[in-house]
Amino acid sequence: MRKFILIFFLISVVGYTQNKQVLYDFAGLPQTLLLNPGAEVHNKYYVGLPLFSQLSVQVGFTGFSAYDIFADNGVDINTKIRNAINNYGISEFMEINQQLEVLSGGFQLKNNSYISFGYYQEFNFLAKMPRDIVDLFYDGNTDINRRYSINKLAARAELLGVLHIGLSKRINKKWRIGARAKIYSSVFNANSKLNTGSFYTEEGTNNTYKQHLDNVNFLMQTSGVFFDNSEDLDASYVKNKFLLGGNLGLGIDVGFTHQLKKQWIVTGSIQDIGFVKYSKNVESFSVKGDYEVEGFQLDFDPNSPDDYWNDLKEEFDERIVLDTLYKSYIAMRPVKLNGSVSYSFGQKYDECRFLIDPQLYLNKVGFQFYSTVGAVHSYMAATLFYERRLGKHLQTKITYTADPYSFSNVGVGLSTQLGIFNAYVIADNLLSLNNLYAAKSSSFQLGVNFIIHNKN
Amino acid sequence: MNPSKIIATLLIIFSLYSCTKDVDFNQLDDANIHTTYLVTLIHLNLTAIKFLDDFNNEIEFTEESIQAPIANDSKSYLEKVEFTVVTNNTFNRDFTLNIIFYNEFNEPIYYLQPVIIVPENSLELTTIIEIPLEDIPAIYETQYFGFNLKLSPSADGSVISGADTTTIDLKSSVKLFFNFRKI
Repeated sequence: MRKFILIFFLISVVGYTQNKQVLYDFAGLPQTLLLNPGAEVHNKYYVGLPLFSQLSVQVGFTGFSAYDIFADNGVDINTKIRNAINNYGISEFMEINQQLEVLSGGFQLKNNSYISFGYYQEFNFLAKMPRDIVDLFYDGNTDINRRYSINKLAARAELLGVLHIGLSKRINKKWRIGARAKIYSSVFNANSKLNTGSFYTEEGTNNTYKQHLDNVNFLMQTSGVFFDNSEDLDASYVKNKFLLGGNLGLGIDVGFTHQLKKQWIVTGSIQDIGFVKYSKNVESFSVKGDYEVEGFQLDFDPNSPDDYWNDLKEEFDERIVLDTLYKSYIAMRPVKLNGSVSYSFGQKYDECRFLIDPQLYLNKVGFQFYSTVGAVHSYMAATLFYERRLGKHLQTKITYTADPYSFSNVGVGLSTQLGIFNAYVIADNLLSLNNLYAAKSSSFQLGVNFIIHNKN
Repeated sequence: MNPSKIIATLLIIFSLYSCTKDVDFNQLDDANIHTTYLVTLIHLNLTAIKFLDDFNNEIEFTEESIQAPIANDSKSYLEKVEFTVVTNNTFNRDFTLNIIFYNEFNEPIYYLQPVIIVPENSLELTTIIEIPLEDIPAIYETQYFGFNLKLSPSADGSVISGADTTTIDLKSSVKLFFNFRKI
């Protein structure tokens, strides 16, 4: 079973990062409003196909790939594991993000503002594993005076439903701004961050070695994870928690589109400025303290026999205190920042060289920036992109991204519009397609919408 | 070639290009993770008075024991145990330390070999004792460890005095060698 889980984990490394760099500001898709509520959307109204308007599953691991370990290349697997450990950074992280848009819709108001709304389900998992922990497991603790620290150990897991409504409003010819209000309803949450503490062995005074647990301060908060009665956890429980019956929170996205010049556009957004207050099924664990031991000092005193082991255990329990807490807590949502600068060019002419649409450009190139900022982990990504209209019905976007997973992530997106039927598919990390097992990350999103455009 | 055709060509190439190189997940059966953990163990610093009874007669044997709550979780992975014992003896007498493993019925089930002999007036002396793989199961049946320290008689018939400032020191640690081969 453990073998199966490990293989699954390493295969799932061929996955995705939370950055949706191809989807961002792509083809006027309604889903771009989820990334920037101030994005330009040129439709009269739209309805997403329920459960299929956006599906996105994302996994990534910065440490090593499945191919690093399982390549059938004649090299002993233990050598490959050793090489992977040697190349492991000070801290590596694994991330899983999955989103499913259940309902999605939007319509244009008479004043050219645009309202969009919907409900989506989201699962997030992020774990940061410091090298010290890996070394402690892989090599043991025979390295005297080395401190094995948990300072970079952090994790977050959450499953929630998000009900949202957004307004995108043109305030003048150059500016469009937008905001989206969100209500989070959490099914479960677990998080651990800002941990401190280290374990080390040094030469002792009374014994050869003295071993220390130094400045340990570990906290893991959970909600909806532990149940007194496991029978409480059934489909109706999960459904209830998704539909505003869970721990609730509020959030907001804000964004803008600025027409810098006729062909230059600057956009930006901040997503998920918000929090969830966890007060139901809360069970958190705290470990704090310092402890040092040089072993058992044998007295050989028959008149007062010692209970060495229990004395040691009692002393340990006094010094390293494990508490179970049932106090409600607030977890901030990981904030995401997006920004872009783009330049459009190439207009379309008819056979008589008349300009078909003065507002329409066939090509767009630009730069995008993405960052996620959270208590558990933060990172940045930079993207260059080229977007191209391929005829009346097809639009495509190609991206080149540098992020913590790779400096050579090439992505592509296709969006087609046939009548009111719109479908899009986006894939990422295409350079790894020649060997999927070697990819540390990639991404895809796909969805179907029914979009009614303005007649003009 | 116009951009549309270039992009279409690239998409076709990408879609045809998608594949995987050979991997063999069965290699996991050959994976071994050899990990060694170092744990500080017992120490003692005994003066002459510890070897005298209430009537100042020498005690030939003195004994001590430690409970051993050893969990079975690591049973499949522990391959070797290596004790390092460092002694320092300023007595002009030899000592012998026997370490015996007892089961839940107080029956001795394993004698750590070789016994630790601390010669008279010996400066720092290091003894390494190994429990080999075939004897590892005894550890998991052990309920407590017994320490039996024997004072050898003097060659000239002299006896220990309570006023002596001589000491026997012992420091120890253990290395536990694991092989996590069933990942």
